[in-house]
Parts: sequence; C-alpha cells; structure tokens
Amino acid sequence: MAEKAAAPPRSKPLTTQEWETLIEDFQNGVHHKWNSLDPLFDLLLSSLLRKDFPLFLKLQLLVFLDEFSLSFFTSHHHLLRLVDALKAVVHAPLDVVASTFKDQFMVSATSILICASEKNVIDPQTENNLVELLLTVINRPNFGSDRHTRGVACECLRELERWRPGLLSDVVGHLWSLCQNERTHASQCYLLLFTSVIHNIIARKLSVSILNTSVPMVPFNAPNCVTDSGSGSGSSSDLNVKELRRALAFLLEWPQLMTPCGMMEFVCMIIPVAVALELQPSMLKVQLFGMIHSFDPVLCHVVLGMYLRFLEAFDGQEGEVSRRLLLISRESQNYLVFRLLAIHWLLGFNQLIFEKTKPTIELCSTFYPAVFDPLALKALKLDLLAFSSVCAHVLRLKSGSDELIDPVKLFENGLVCVSSFKWLPPMSTETAVAFRTFHKFLIATSSHSDNDPSTTRNLLDSVIFRTLQGLLVNLMLESRRLVPVVVAFVDRLLSCPKHSWLGECLLQKFDAHLLPKVKMDYKMVYCFPIFDRIAENQTIPPRGLLELLTNFMIFLVEKHGPDTGMKSWSQGSRALGICRTMLTRHHSSRLFLRLSRLLAFTCLYFPDLEVRDNSRIYLRMLVCIPGKKLRDILSLRDMILGISPSSHSTSFFNVQSPRPSQKFKSFKKLSSCIHLERLGPLLVKQFWSLSLSNLVVSNTKPAYLESIRDLKAPVEEKDTEIIPETGRINQPQEPLRVMDSKVAEILNTLRKYFSCIPDFRYMPGLKVRISCSLRFESNTFNRMLGLDKNVSSLEEIDALPAIYATVLKFSSSAPYGSIPSYCIPFLLGEPYNKDPASQNVSLSIVPVGVGNDSREEEKYRATVVIDLEPREPTPGIVDVHIESNAENGQIIQGQLQGITVGIEDMFLKAIVPSDIPEDETPRYNFDLFNTLWEACGSSSSTGRETFQLKGGKGIAAISGTQSVKLLDVPATSLIQATERHLARFVVGVSGEPLIDAVWQGGIIQNVILEDASPVATSVTNHDTGPLRLTYNDEECENGTISNSRKRNLGCFLVLIFLPPRFHLLFQMEVGDVSTLVRIRTDHWPSLAYIDDYLEALYLS
Amino acid sequence: MSSGCSIRAIWILNNLDAVVFSRKFPVVEKRWRAACNADNDIDQLFASLPTHSDLADAFLDRKHREGSARGFGIRKSNSTLGSDSWVDDPITRHIVGLFINKEEEDIKNLLWPLILHTKGLYSILVLPLVEPRHLVAYARLCKRSDCGTALGMDDGLSSLLLDLPSVTGAFMVAHAIGDIITGDTVEPEVIVSAAPSVGGLFDSLTGSIGISSRAKPVNPPVASSSPSSTAVPGSVTADAPKIGSRPLDKDALRTFISSSMPFGTPLDLNYSNIFTIKANGFSATDLPPPDQKQPAWKPYLYKGKQRIMFTIHETIHAALYDRDEIPDTISVSGQINCRAELEGLPDVSFPLAGLNAANLEVLSYHPCAQVSDQGLDKQGVMFSPPLGNFVLMRYQATCALGPPINGFYQLSMVSEDKGAFLFKLHLMEGYKSPLNMEFCTVTMPFPRRRILSLDGTPSVGTVSTSEHSVEWKIVTSGRGLTGRSIEVTFPGTVKFAPWQNQRLSSSSRSSFGINADEDSDNEAENASNMVNEEHLMEKMNKDLPPVDLEEPFCWQAYNYAKVSFKVVGASVSGIAVDPKSVSIYPAVKAPIEFSTQVTSGDYILWNTLGKCPHVATIKRSNREDNADEFFNLISADEDLFIIHPSIRSLSTSLGTEKNKAVKKNENTFYTFHPLISSISPPIKGSNKIDQNTSLFISLTT
Repeated sequence: MAEKAAAPPRSKPLTTQEWETLIEDFQNGVHHKWNSLDPLFDLLLSSLLRKDFPLFLKLQLLVFLDEFSLSFFTSHHHLLRLVDALKAVVHAPLDVVASTFKDQFMVSATSILICASEKNVIDPQTENNLVELLLTVINRPNFGSDRHTRGVACECLRELERWRPGLLSDVVGHLWSLCQNERTHASQCYLLLFTSVIHNIIARKLSVSILNTSVPMVPFNAPNCVTDSGSGSGSSSDLNVKELRRALAFLLEWPQLMTPCGMMEFVCMIIPVAVALELQPSMLKVQLFGMIHSFDPVLCHVVLGMYLRFLEAFDGQEGEVSRRLLLISRESQNYLVFRLLAIHWLLGFNQLIFEKTKPTIELCSTFYPAVFDPLALKALKLDLLAFSSVCAHVLRLKSGSDELIDPVKLFENGLVCVSSFKWLPPMSTETAVAFRTFHKFLIATSSHSDNDPSTTRNLLDSVIFRTLQGLLVNLMLESRRLVPVVVAFVDRLLSCPKHSWLGECLLQKFDAHLLPKVKMDYKMVYCFPIFDRIAENQTIPPRGLLELLTNFMIFLVEKHGPDTGMKSWSQGSRALGICRTMLTRHHSSRLFLRLSRLLAFTCLYFPDLEVRDNSRIYLRMLVCIPGKKLRDILSLRDMILGISPSSHSTSFFNVQSPRPSQKFKSFKKLSSCIHLERLGPLLVKQFWSLSLSNLVVSNTKPAYLESIRDLKAPVEEKDTEIIPETGRINQPQEPLRVMDSKVAEILNTLRKYFSCIPDFRYMPGLKVRISCSLRFESNTFNRMLGLDKNVSSLEEIDALPAIYATVLKFSSSAPYGSIPSYCIPFLLGEPYNKDPASQNVSLSIVPVGVGNDSREEEKYRATVVIDLEPREPTPGIVDVHIESNAENGQIIQGQLQGITVGIEDMFLKAIVPSDIPEDETPRYNFDLFNTLWEACGSSSSTGRETFQLKGGKGIAAISGTQSVKLLDVPATSLIQATERHLARFVVGVSGEPLIDAVWQGGIIQNVILEDASPVATSVTNHDTGPLRLTYNDEECENGTISNSRKRNLGCFLVLIFLPPRFHLLFQMEVGDVSTLVRIRTDHWPSLAYIDDYLEALYLS
Repeated sequence: MSSGCSIRAIWILNNLDAVVFSRKFPVVEKRWRAACNADNDIDQLFASLPTHSDLADAFLDRKHREGSARGFGIRKSNSTLGSDSWVDDPITRHIVGLFINKEEEDIKNLLWPLILHTKGLYSILVLPLVEPRHLVAYARLCKRSDCGTALGMDDGLSSLLLDLPSVTGAFMVAHAIGDIITGDTVEPEVIVSAAPSVGGLFDSLTGSIGISSRAKPVNPPVASSSPSSTAVPGSVTADAPKIGSRPLDKDALRTFISSSMPFGTPLDLNYSNIFTIKANGFSATDLPPPDQKQPAWKPYLYKGKQRIMFTIHETIHAALYDRDEIPDTISVSGQINCRAELEGLPDVSFPLAGLNAANLEVLSYHPCAQVSDQGLDKQGVMFSPPLGNFVLMRYQATCALGPPINGFYQLSMVSEDKGAFLFKLHLMEGYKSPLNMEFCTVTMPFPRRRILSLDGTPSVGTVSTSEHSVEWKIVTSGRGLTGRSIEVTFPGTVKFAPWQNQRLSSSSRSSFGINADEDSDNEAENASNMVNEEHLMEKMNKDLPPVDLEEPFCWQAYNYAKVSFKVVGASVSGIAVDPKSVSIYPAVKAPIEFSTQVTSGDYILWNTLGKCPHVATIKRSNREDNADEFFNLISADEDLFIIHPSIRSLSTSLGTEKNKAVKKNENTFYTFHPLISSISPPIKGSNKIDQNTSLFISLTT
C-alpha cells in the first residue's frame, strides 16, 4: 500500500490512508519516497485549511508538522504562511472550526516557530505576529466559551517566554491584571504564564515595572532585552523588588487551584524567585508543606524539592518528612513503582541529612518489610535497614551512644522476609534479594569513592561481617545447592578493586570454618565451586583443602563399588580439577608435600583409570616442572584467548587458521639452537671417514652379507632351521677331532663363557649406553619462534623460554638395532649471555673436566641416554629427531645434529658368569683372556668349533685375526693414557717396572699382576703359535724399533668385549720409548678402527 | 530541582515489540539539545531521538539481554556491565535505559531514563527531560566495574531520583496513558443506599448539560501487583483478555496527550476532565463563580440536587499462621471515596474519629484536602470537593474488630499424591449486627498439581473442584451472615495426579550434566521408603521458577488457602465518618450518605503443617499503649503478650470488649481429622488452646 501511495499525482490531494502512511514513513525515518510530493508543505497547509478534511486527520497533521518541522520549515516564508493560516483559524467562529483544532494549531505553530529558530533566522515580525495573536486570544478573561482555548494560548505564550526570556516583560502588567481577573479553570494557565514572566524578569534582572500597563498589549513589539539578545540586561540591573514581592504574594495565594502537575511547574519557577527576593522560606512552607500529605507522588516530590532547597528553614522537620515518605511506601493502594520511588527518595533524602538521622529501634522496625510487600519493595526496605546500620555505625563511632540499634538484629530481622531462599531453588528471586542484601549490609560502611583502605579493613571487625560469614558457612553446610550462589557473591566482591580483599577474607573464613565441618559424602561435590575459589586464592594456605581432598579421595576409593563407577569418575575428576587449580595458583613448594601425597595416592589406588592417569600427569608435572612454568602451562588463559573469537556462534566457521599451521611447522635450523651433545667426547675425531666406510659396509648388501658369513651368518642360518640337525650331524664328528687336554680346557672355558652372552635375536642384547646432554639457547630459540622477549630480564628464570614434553627419536643407518626414544618433560633454555661460551664448547671437544662451570648450568641441560643394541661393533652416526612443545603451544619438530658413535663406545667388559665369585673375577678374566688369545690365534684349533650362546638357540664360532701396532710413546704417557681410558679392561699386568708404575697410579686394580715378566711374555709368545707370530714380530721389529726398545718394562693384557659377541685383545709390551701392541680379535673389521683408536689414544 | 517535568517523547509498543504509537515534543527536544551543547564535556550524548524501528530494535535487544522486557532488576550472574540490572536496583525494572544502535554500547547511544509501564499487551515508554549530567551519572552507575553501590556512601540511584521530579511526573503520565489504553478510565466507586452505585463526572453533568448517563462504574483500579491472579487462576483475571484485545484508541491518546501536555509539560493528567472538556466544551452560559477562582481540577460546576456520599472501602490483608512462633499479621488498607454533588465551590469538613482505635498508620489525602493539625485521636479534614467520584483519603490500619475469619488450615501429605486437610474456621467472631458478611469463599489452589478427586464434606457450605483448585463456598450471596458468628469445619482428603511432569523435567535437567548427583537424592528417598513430607516438598520445589520482583514471594512454593469475602455495614478498622458532624461551607442543606464495604485482599490461611513466608514483626509503641489497660488488668508478663500471636489478637479485641474476648477463648476447642491426628508431632496448634486457657486461669486467680 505504501508503494502505491508513494507517488500520487501532484495535484491530487492525498487520501486519509496515504497521509497516515506518509506519517508512518517519516516516523520510521524513510522520508525519501515522499520527496516527489514536493512541495509537501503546500499540500499540508492546504489540507489543514480545507473544510471537508476530517478533524482527526487535521489534528494528526498538525502534530506531524510539529514533530517534523525541521524537514518542512526551511525558510521564514513558510513560517509566515503558517502564522497567517493560524490567524485565519483563530479568528474563525467556533461553529466553523472546532476548538480542539484551534488549540492544536496554536500549539503546533508555536512549537514550530520555536524549533525552526534553530535553523532559520526568524523574521521578528512573524514572531511578533504570533505573540500578538496569542495575546488577543487571552485578553478576554472569564469569557464563557473559549476558556479552554485561552488556557492553551497562555501555555503557548509561556513556551515562547521560556524560549525568549523576557519576551513578555513589557506587557507583564496586563498579564497580571488578566491573572487577577480570570476566574475560570483556565486561571492556572494565566497564573503559570505570569509566574514564568516574573521568573524571567528576575532571572535576567530586568528593571520593569510590573504594575505598569502603559505599553499596550496589542500591537506587540518584542522588548529590547530580547531583540538585543540580552546585551541590555546588564545595564538595568535594578529589580523592582517591592512590586515583585507583591506579585509573589499574589501568586502564593493560589496554589490550591492548581493541579499537581501545574503545582510542580509553579513551584519550580517560584523557588528561584523567592530566593532572589529573599522571601522567608517559612512563607513557602506554610503554603506548600501541607502537600506532603497528599497521595499524589508529584506533590510529594515537589515538597521534597522545596525542602532540599531550603534545608535550614525546614530544620526539625526531617522526621515528619521521613515518616511521610515511609508511609507512602507502605500504602498498598499505590502503584508499586511509587512505593519504590518513595523509598529511593527516603534513601537519597536521608543521605543528605545524614548527620541528623538517628536510627532507633522504633524507626528501624518500621522499615521491616511486610509479608505481602512485593519483593522489589522488600529489597529496597532491606536497603533502608542497611542504611540505618550505616548511620548507627557512624553515630557509634562519634558518640558511642548505646541506645542505638544493633545492626545484626536489623540484619537478621530484615532477612526473615526472604528466609525461604534457604530452601527454594537457588535461582529464585528470594535468593537474589537475600544476597543483594548481604552485599549491601556488608559493604555498607565502605564507599567505592574513597581510597582509604582502612574502611574496608574496618569492615572485617564489624559484627556484620562475622555474622554474615557464619551465616554463609551454615548456609553452605545446610543447603549445598546454594554454594554456586555464594560463589557468585564472593566473585562479585573479588572482582571489585575496593572490596576484593573482603572477598578474600570471606574465603579465608570459609577455609577455616567450612572445611572442617563438611560432611564426607558424595554430596560434597556441591561444595566444589567454593573449594575452587579457595584453591584459587593465594592468600589461603592450601593445607586444609588438600587434606580435605585427600580424605575425599580416600572416601571415594573406599566407597567405590559396582554402582558408583560414574560417580567415582566424575567426582574424582572434579577433585583433581581443584588440585589443578591449586597448581596454577600456588607456589609448588607450598603444595608439594601434601599435593604429591594426594596425587600419588590417587594414581596408585583410585579405581578409575582416567583419574589415575590425570593424577599421574599432575604428579609428574609437579615434580618436574618449576612453578612458574607449570602455572603457565596449566592456566588456560592462552587457550581461552585463542578460542574466544570462535566461541561466538557467528564466527564459528571462520576460525582463524594461522595457529594450526604454525603449530606443525618444522624448523629446519633447529640444530643451530638445540644441541644434543655427547657427555664424553670421542677420542677419534675423524669420525666422518670411519662412519663413511662403515656406512658403505653396512649399507651395501654384499658387504653386509659377507661380514655375516664370516662371523655369524652361517650360525644364524643354521640356527633358524638347519642348525639343530646339522648340529646333530656334526656332533658325532666332534669326537673324531684330535684334541689335547689343553684344547679341551679352552673349549670348556669358551663354552661356558659364550653361554653367558645373550643372543640378541631372542632376548635383550647387550646394550651400549651413550650419555648425552640436551640444551638449547634461549636467544636463538626465541628468535626462531618469533617471540619478542625482553632481553633485559634474561637472568630470571621466568623470562627464559622452555620446552615441554620433548621426545627425542633416534635412528641410525648403522646396525644398532632399534633405539628407544627418550623423553624430557621440561627443559629451560640457557641464559642468553652464556651463548658464545657454550657454542664454543659444542664446537671443540673438551675433556669432561672442563664441564665444571657448566655443572652450575645443569638445570639448563638434560641428560639423555642413548641405548644402542649393536648388531655389529661398528662406529656410526645416530640421527636425532626432536619433537617438543614451546610455551605458546607451538609444536617444534626437527632434526638435530647426529650423535657420533665411536668404536670405543662399543667397549664393554667381558661378561663374568654368575657362578664365579667376585674375588675370583680377576683370575677368571685373566684366564679368559688367555683362552681367547689362544682361540683367536691363527693356528687355533678352535676355529671349527661353535659355541652355544645364551638361550641355546644361536651358536657362534671364533675366527680370529691378529695384528700388531707399534706406538712411539714414552712409557709414562702410555701408562697414563691406559689408566685413563682402558683401565677397566686391563685384566693382567706383568713385569716388575710396569707393575710398580701401575701400583703407583692406583687406577688399575683387581687385575692379575705377574712379576716374572719374561715368563709372562714368553708364555704368551709360546701360547700364540711360536712360528708365525715371532716371524711376524721379527719382521716388524726388523728395523730401528727393536734396537731402540732395549728395555721391556712389562706387559698389559687388555680384554675388551665388543657387543654382540666379539672380543678385542691387546697384549701391550711396554717399553721405555715405544710400545708394541699385539692385537687379536674375533671380529676382523674392528681392526680398522682400532688402529685409529690407538693412535688417538696414545699419540695425540 | 531546577526544571519541573517535561517529556521528550512517548512511545507505545505492542506485544510484538513494534511501535504502534509515538509522540515527540520538539520544543523539549530543543531544550535537551541546548543543554547538551551548553556542556562541552558531554556534547557527545545521544542528541536525537531514535526512529521507530531503531527504538523497537533497542527494546528487543534489551529484552534479550535482560531476560524480559522489564529486566532482572537485581544484578545477577548473567547481568552485563552497562545494563540496567548491573545497577542492582529493582526500580530499574521501571526506569530503563536503551542503547540505540546496539553495535556500540556507548554512553553516546544511551537513552535514559525511559519510564517503562506495561499495561495490557502494551509497553509504554516515556522519556522525560533530565539534565545531561544526570544521564552521565546514570551511565557511570551502570558502567562501574566495582561490586555495586555502597548505601549512604556512594552516589547512587537514590540521590539521582530524588533530584529528578521529571521521572516522577513521567510515571504519572505513563500510568495515565496506560489507563487510557486499557480503558481503565473509571472513577472510584461510591455506593449509595438507593442504587448500587453512582457514576462519575458525566453523571454529575447530566443535570446541567443533559448528556445521557453512562454505564455503571466498576471497582476502583487496584495496585498493579495483585497476587490474586496467581492465587486463584481464572477467577479474577477473567477480564484480562478483554483488555488485551482492545484496539489502541489512538484518537483518545492523541487528545489526551495534546490537552494534558501540549508542549510536553504535563498540566493536568485527569483524563475524565480532559475527555469531558473535549466532548462538551464550554458554552457562554457557563459562568465562573462570581467571587472565587475556579480550580484547574474542576472545570465544570455542579448544578442540581445537592448531596454528599461517602463510601469507605477497606481491604483486609491477612496472613494467618496459627503457630506459636509466628504471629498472625492482619492489616487493613482503606480509602474513603467521596462524591460531593454540591453547587459552587464549597468547602466540606468533618472530624475523623477513632484514629487510635483503628491504629491508623497512613493517612494521605486527595490534593484538594487540607489537613488541620493532627491530633492523637482526632483529625479534622477539610476539602473542596472536585467533580465526580474521588478518593478523598487513604489509610492503613489494623483490624480493630478482629479478623472476620479466624482459624486454621492444615494439609498433610499422607502419600506423595494424597493429602489430608482440615479447616476449622470462625466467621464473624465478635461482629455485631450492622455488619453483614455477604459472601465468603475459601480456595485451596494447587497450581502445580492436578486434582483427581476430593473426599470430604464441610459442616457448612458447598465444595467444588477445578483442575487446580478446590473452592469451598461457606457463605453465598443472598444468604448473608448478619450479626452472628459461626464455626465451620471441613475435613477431607484430596487426591492428586502423580507428580510426573516435573520429575521428567528434572531428570532431563540432570542429563544436561548440571547435577551429577541428583540420583543420590532419590536413593535416599527410596531408602527411607516412607512418606517424607519434607522430602516431597523439596522435590516439588526443586524446579520452581523464580517469581517476578512484583510478587511478594514464590506463591507456588507454599500450601495455603485463600479466603475471599465481603463484609458490609461498618468498617473493620473502626474508622467512621459521622454524617452529623460533616459541615459544608457556605452552608447548604445536603443529605449525607455513608456506606462501607470491606473486601478481602490477600487473606491467606497458611498451612499450619507446612512452610510459610513470614516477616519480623514491627514493634508498635501505640499498640502497646493500647494494650496497657489489659496488661494492668491481668498483670501478666509483658513478653508473653508480645510473643504469643493469639494473645495479641486477644489484647486488641479486649481493648474494646474484654469479656467477650475472654469468652471466645473459653469456648475454643479443636477437633482433628483422624488422618492428621495420626501424625501427631507437627500439630502445634493444639498447644495454643492450652496456653490461652492457662492464661485465662492465671487471669482469674
């Protein structure tokens, strides 16, 4: 319909309906579609003047014109036309134009003129015309039929006067006489108009004679004070006080004629007049104070306003006014809102006359709510009681008079009216009112506006606080459903900067009084919200709560049964949640003892797996992670911040993506800041060449197979399916072999020995442990993650970055078996200034002793042990992959620099069978050395023998190789190096000088010492196949060496076990300036590394 | 209080939250803009009024934020900073703030104070003019981040409201508009002996102007919070839909607004005057009084046969507990309605007697009345009566005659779905001959339970049941009870449908995970396997919805019986207007008629065996004075008198009629329903008799 009506032809007048649509559109702010009707104003004006137009629509249009005058009256011509139109209407006889139309036209025209003045310059003549017209209307006092219209015209003039103060000051004399004459009900309007003119005369200090009627009313001309825009007012500041007083006296005769609303207008204007004229306030009081007994709220408010203006004049009347206000609130016939207002007035009023209020029991008991008072009223009456308690408090401080009421009694008596909150549902309105009252009473004497904290502290001693605290404790014990409400109450205090302290104290009291009384049952879970708050608060020692929770856990464990599965789970989890809260809020040192006990108990005995798991995690964290970091991890703050934008339903689907993508970014340069280093550096530095050769060997299938064939492959192959049979076939052949008793003894020893070596294929093999340390540089780390940490606070641990739940995964191309990964729960970054030093450390191989100063930094390092289970004793590189979490939740992944494994890492002591007593171990080792030495000899008769390994499934054969190495080192340094690196492998020392040297060193112990060195050497010489070895030996020593080695100090016998089952045997003939090392092994590839090793060991 | 009351704008919204009517006052708005501009600090305040759609949006938005159109009124956990309920004052349910353009909740967009008055299906919003600093002060209040105003210390809402008469005026405007919307434009009822009632202003004019008389008026509008609707569903609210379906009479509204506040400043809110002037106008023959000014509230003068009529309307509110520890409270709120058909502008005066006996507490008068100095027991009232019916005076008093219905109501749940009850009531005890009880009905509402059957017969009267209530008509109209008292009993049992719906809802609630331990309660119940009334109550109360702040308490949480009755013949407070002492100046001979009508308001018999709401008693000094005579007589311990409820009523009635009161107690004995007597401990009412008797004995010895 609106669309249809949107563009009617211009000439055609709008229908009623169209007009209504138009008005509606304007009210909704959509003018534009009526712009085509331009000039709409003409249409409006002509419609107004048409006789056939319905009256109700005319009135509507007038109001419409008024409300949207700014859109229509864009030039003063419009106004002029409007005033002309008004003139026509006003002068028209009543039977032609309805008086209501006349009235509304006057009102609208006046309003439009006033409003249009904001935008347009008003032609003064238009204005004068209007005033003149209105004055002619009112200038017919007591005329019968148009009395109402006259009243309206007075109102119009009053509005104009309000707009231009002083406008009617010249004709005030006429107005006064009109006022005196008018006797119809319109007289109120005349009185108000006259009052308003008087008010403005006084406000602008115009020196006008109000008795003077010499200036004619019509034609009207705006007085100078208005046209000069106020400049003339200052010059004539002599008020005609005497006349004005007469006028005031006249005005004060008629208040009883006025309606309540009229009275409000009147009093508002008369008060400044009375003040300016220094009228005795008692005059006003006599005339107007009686209105306080009226049931009209407006009149009561008028009296209150007057009272507040003349406080001293009404001295002594506070009681009456207060009583009266209170009585209004008790008038059940009144609308509720006025009863509420009355109490607000009373509160505001009493606040003003605070000093004079003396609450007595008598007075206060009248504030008690009545049973049928609406809850809103009850709430405000309780406010009144709280206010009385404030007054009592202040007065008691001042005078110490004891006739005052007891605030607690007030509080308790007042609370009776909502006492049902204790058993009603917690969201009941009664509860809301009750807790609101608690709050009011509690903070009553401490304002937010004053910064003095002592007022809050005083509250603590107040009886109200003690009462309330007891009440809340009992409340929580009796009706646990109310706990959340109490929590909300405490939260409210806690969130207030001024009263958070009060909230804390409440919590402290709860800790002290509630915890011991809580009954240990399943319903205790109701109290958990408040426990949570207690746990959050750092001012409360966590002892009590932890004890309670421990008992609760015990209770849950004890009560657990088939029916309580879910309950145990949910309540246990919630209890753990409180523990978690504690972890996030308290210093772990405070918690440690009790909390670890609680958690340990839980993870041991709690029936529910999830709870056990969680408590284990918490326990681990508590133990491993320093407090601040722990709190940071546990607090969900960051998480919440990250999630909050998506928690809104609108943005649910456009979750910001950078976060996840960042999460799984692997860092390529990780190795530059995170370092995994061996604790003991390798002797052989040129690891690369060795490992390279090793890689070639191990990676290429033929080479690998070859080595197996030589050493183990036939064994393995046989072992799996064939060996048992061939073994059986072979066994009968064995007796055929020629064996002397010595060989038999060797074989026996070796059988026994090999049966102790585990077969790694079926059982955990022998392990080689490489100790490393993990550290990372804070600076580089932060830079890498893009964190901007303040560099100034580097020294503080809190400022250092940390990584969490680090998992190191190892892999190697060398045959080391599967290497278990290693977990580090927490690691702090190294302080920044240490960076250069530690970098140096990592670059060069520094002996272990240098790490002394780094011991202080142990907290910045984590020890990592790499367990290798070598299949073959070769050096190699272990690749390291790291996965960790940064503090901000980023997951760090990447490759670290590999760990080099040297041949020396493979060195293990030979296994001693368990039936050998400890004191015979050296002898056993010595014998074993000799046995193996024999067996590895090239002429050994054991070459075709096989030995069963532990477990009985695999068998090994010995195929020995030997080699010789001459070391040109003086004996002393050789002995030192041996003592340092090979001491634990030495099984025998022979030769007196050498024994003496070793004895002095005291490092090599528990070995067989043989004095007769020549014998020893000869024995060995004999034993190792006399022909070839000596021949070899001679060949080697053919040159210069043998000559220089005049003196033979003695001999070291070294037995090294190489996992999984190989051996390395050194016979070191120590001379003064050089040493000859005879090497035998049953794993020939290792000879390649040994050469380098010996050189690194002794020659560097 | 520099400015009076001016209205910037009025909006009326319907139940669909659409603006159906609005009126703006550009002149006032101009003043607001000027005030804003004058203060440089606050020139960013919301400077222009919102369009209809913006306002409706903001209103709807607030409704969502605050839970209802009125809002919480009290700061709750889900109140947001900047909202009305954050201020934590119940009056914010009536004085609301709206954020226009909700995107940015800034003070710039705050429209305050909006007077919200809900009537019928309409919400009336009135925006009075305040000073910008007031708005800033309120914005500060609702944006303060601390825990709330400290009474007496911080600048709170109270001092703001005290400083704002325009808010008070705006409420008057809002209520007047509300009455016009719903057609409640009736005048207070005045009863005359000849006809049941007399009409209002129109009737006054019929003699002079000759306009036909209109329909007879209905009861005077009662205060907005009438609990009767909750207590007795369907009985009183029958006319509610009629009000709601009434189309908005925009013409009447426009007329009213234009005449009562042509420039936004209210001058007269008396709608009957306004509509009469609109309808009748004035003729040249309407002459003003020759030597007096005609008050603004009396635009027409009466002409015709002269007479004055007074009607005292009293409403008794009572909470009868029949318990030792809780005293009964009975209060009477009364008003004297008047209709003075007097020519000219005469003054009428009469002395008000019996104030002390009636324990009159509140006396407030029509603005036309002037009160001479208040004496202890007497008060002269002089007034210049306006036209038509008007409320001359209102008062609160106690029931000097004693409660018209006294006794007890006991309900005991013998099983979860079956309750045994017993009434024992005394009607009109101590009431003398002119007093006539026209009807008396007792209703037992069970809003949360469905009644299956009722078993039991009352000693007097008839019983009917509806789905949710039992109604016992003791005295029916036409067979009034005059000048005699009766005692009635009604034992019976009532059977309810099983308590099922709520249980379902409660279980569904627990499935939300709010209460993991709900089942443990049931376990306990099953374990006891007995009727545990406490437990039953707890179970039933578990999901009681919170009531509005306009209710006195959660009615549904209690078992009670509500008595409704009507007594005519004399006031129960003892207040009276002696026709002989009414004088008129200038003297005219005019018959003076006087009538009284006492009706029940919240007249509640609380289940003696259940929970009941109560309050701390007010210590009244004059009441003790009144009882002095009695104290002296029996020289009893004062404490006993104050504590024991039945004795209080004894003492008040003894003040006037000693012997009778004593006799009353002597005759009292109670019988019990067999089912109830089996549950012996809770019946404390029986003690009461013994105490009374023993007291009486001590009195005679």
